Amino acid sequence: MTAAATSPRAIVPAASEAHRRAARSARIRGVVICVLALIAFGFATNTMGDKVTFKFWLTEQGKAFIEIPTSPGVLWILAGLTTGLTGLWQLWKGASAAWRRWLILWLPFWVAAIVGTMLAGKTATLTNLFAGTFEYAFPISMGAFAAIICERSGMFDIAVEGKLLVGACVGSIAGSMCLQVLGPETGAVVGPIVGPAFAALAGMGIGLLMAWLAIRYKVDQIITGTVVNFGALGLTNFVYLRVLQTYTDYNTPPTIERIQIPVLSQIPVLGPILFQATPYVYVGWVVMLILTYFIFKTRWGLRLRASGEYPQAAGTVGINVIAIRYRAMLLAGAIAGFAGSYLSLHSAGSFQMNMSAGKGFIGIAAMIFGAWNPIAAFGAALVFGFADATQQLLSTLGVDIPPQFLASVPYVLTIVVVAGLVGRVRGPAMAGQPYEQG
Amino acid sequence: MSGLRRRLRPLVIPFLAVISAFLVGSIFLIFTDIPALQKLLAGNPLDFLVTAVGNVVKAYTALLTGAFGDPGKFVDAFRQGTPEAWATAFRPISETLVAATPLIFTGLAIAVSFRSGVFNIGGDGQFVLGALGATAMALLLRDLPAPITLVGALLAGVVFGMAWGFIPGFLKARTGAHEVITTIMLNYIALQIVQLALRTPFMRPATGSEPISKVIDFARVPQLIPLPGLRLHWGFIVALIVAALVSYFLFRTTKGFELRSAGLNLTAARYAGMSAGGSIILAMVVSGALAGLGGAFQVMGTVTQMSNDINSGYGWTAIALALLGGTRPGGVVAAALLFGALNNGGHEMQIETSIPLDLLIFIQALVIMFVAAPDLVRQIYRLKPKGDETGAPAEEGAAA
Repeated sequence: MTAAATSPRAIVPAASEAHRRAARSARIRGVVICVLALIAFGFATNTMGDKVTFKFWLTEQGKAFIEIPTSPGVLWILAGLTTGLTGLWQLWKGASAAWRRWLILWLPFWVAAIVGTMLAGKTATLTNLFAGTFEYAFPISMGAFAAIICERSGMFDIAVEGKLLVGACVGSIAGSMCLQVLGPETGAVVGPIVGPAFAALAGMGIGLLMAWLAIRYKVDQIITGTVVNFGALGLTNFVYLRVLQTYTDYNTPPTIERIQIPVLSQIPVLGPILFQATPYVYVGWVVMLILTYFIFKTRWGLRLRASGEYPQAAGTVGINVIAIRYRAMLLAGAIAGFAGSYLSLHSAGSFQMNMSAGKGFIGIAAMIFGAWNPIAAFGAALVFGFADATQQLLSTLGVDIPPQFLASVPYVLTIVVVAGLVGRVRGPAMAGQPYEQG
Repeated sequence: MSGLRRRLRPLVIPFLAVISAFLVGSIFLIFTDIPALQKLLAGNPLDFLVTAVGNVVKAYTALLTGAFGDPGKFVDAFRQGTPEAWATAFRPISETLVAATPLIFTGLAIAVSFRSGVFNIGGDGQFVLGALGATAMALLLRDLPAPITLVGALLAGVVFGMAWGFIPGFLKARTGAHEVITTIMLNYIALQIVQLALRTPFMRPATGSEPISKVIDFARVPQLIPLPGLRLHWGFIVALIVAALVSYFLFRTTKGFELRSAGLNLTAARYAGMSAGGSIILAMVVSGALAGLGGAFQVMGTVTQMSNDINSGYGWTAIALALLGGTRPGGVVAAALLFGALNNGGHEMQIETSIPLDLLIFIQALVIMFVAAPDLVRQIYRLKPKGDETGAPAEEGAAA
């Protein structure tokens, strides 16, 4: 299998059987993709008569806009053409076609066509859809980053969900306390900094607890994650019902306003999508870039990856694996806790019970989907965020599609990826294994 | 004397774990007691301590009477001798057993999977789908005689649970997909399926828009004690029988031996000629079937109506139960009875002292933590670092 994947043209007698198998599965794949293309053309003939209008704000919400009137049929034709080309390419090139890369070409058209068909006869503001995608993707991507750091260092982290919840709760309380203690004016300036900071600290505390249990007492890391998820749910619900519900002053944090980036926010069409967002979204971009650099280009990153892949070897050359794992858990906790504060602090929020609603687990899904690579995981988070934003769009436009279908997308996709149905991804080899310092 | 001591030895860690969890819980109770904290800020530390600790004692007392009944009520019942008085006296215990029933099923489910070396985090999904399957089957068969409907519904619950356990088992055996990830995802998919099903006219009652199903009172699991107001049903007895069967299966049959071998050392089991994939799938299917049956009994015996919140984290509590009970069916039943008592008593605590029931979720999480880190407990209570019955060897870390 692997031989065929890496050097398909190499004439190695031992691998010929694998070659034949790869060639056959490539043929089947090509035919399937071509059939998909025909299906798309079939949809096109049925939906050609429908109208759908896409609307973009030029530079500011509610001001000038451009409208693109089109038909779902056109979108289906585009989907059919790109899919058909991919299928023919696959048939022509056989096993050597890098078909996964082509997914990026035709999948967006399928999504656009399906959404367009559902929106038939309506006007959809795509600026909000795309800007919403980035917002919804933020907690997911940060959860994925936290999990990536942990797993790269060799620690399982299924506790992202719990850290998000605690971050949301602590962030809201800390922000509200600022308002209470410093008064509405100073508090509104200091609160948006103190709230997320305390949320990050709370996340670090959880990370420390998990690392301590897993490293010092060798508790199974799935168990520590379960303890944190379950305990965070109980504790935050308890605090909400016992304290925050009655004493609402402790749960009225200052709002974190959107920031318009000068110059860039005035770019037509793109500005309102990318550069008029809540500050959290910008932090997400920055964390992604920094993390990628640090994991793959620095000594710290090399050691981090070494202690996740082969801790014994890392320990032999004098790397302090235990310290690396503790630090990774602290950093991951800070990231996840900070992301949690987004839930309760952005746009006139407050803490509500179980407000993370599975976003942490979707973050883990994004990590797997992105093959433990921050940039790819960010892309996966965008896909999941897009599903959320689409759901939002469809419900505001009154399209009667059960929201459960779109809500299941991340979970189904994750199972498909973990099961290796669309190419196999591999995590750090020694994630979840306790390490004995010799 | 020493024989008794050896028997009690495995109980020491779980007992201390529960005590410690409640102590930590009481610390959180004290520091979220805002009226008492205001006394502290006013410069009355002694007053604060008395009030706050008093509230904790009041809360835990309400918890105990809610779980096991008020002795005064028993005295009344003895004097009056009427069935109503007896029913009042026994209601807390009956409710405790009612609360323990789904926990026994899910706890057994997780214990079987842990014994087999598979981490089934999907008890939640298997439980709700079992409940959904039972509801759907009961509605389909509603015109048949009640016993047939009931048996059909319970079987449907088992089949749905099995199916939801089979998927991660099959994926793990065939492709190596990590069962923790797949079961977590399947939990969420199960919730979406339930929500989708509860939108259909087949499930929904004729009036009302809440996501609940029609009431299934036409094929209810019969009551165990025919006194008014005692909800305890035969599901509890079935749970005990199933626990005995699981124990027999795990420790007395060849398949059970294969499962336990796979759990202890998959490679060794494979070299001994056992099918590793087969035992993973079998473990997940049995596990899913148990959780599904629990869901079926919950809907057919206790709540008689399918809804989104039929499951209050049973799948997660089950992990605590499996660990607390040392993954032995008998231990799981004991742990489930304890947690059933806590959950039921928590309701009484919530009513009497308005302390939210969610405190118990937190306490359960702490119980998992302490049970999973026996060396931590030994350190706290200055016990000798010795291997306990579950076979965990003494860690060097504890001695150092």
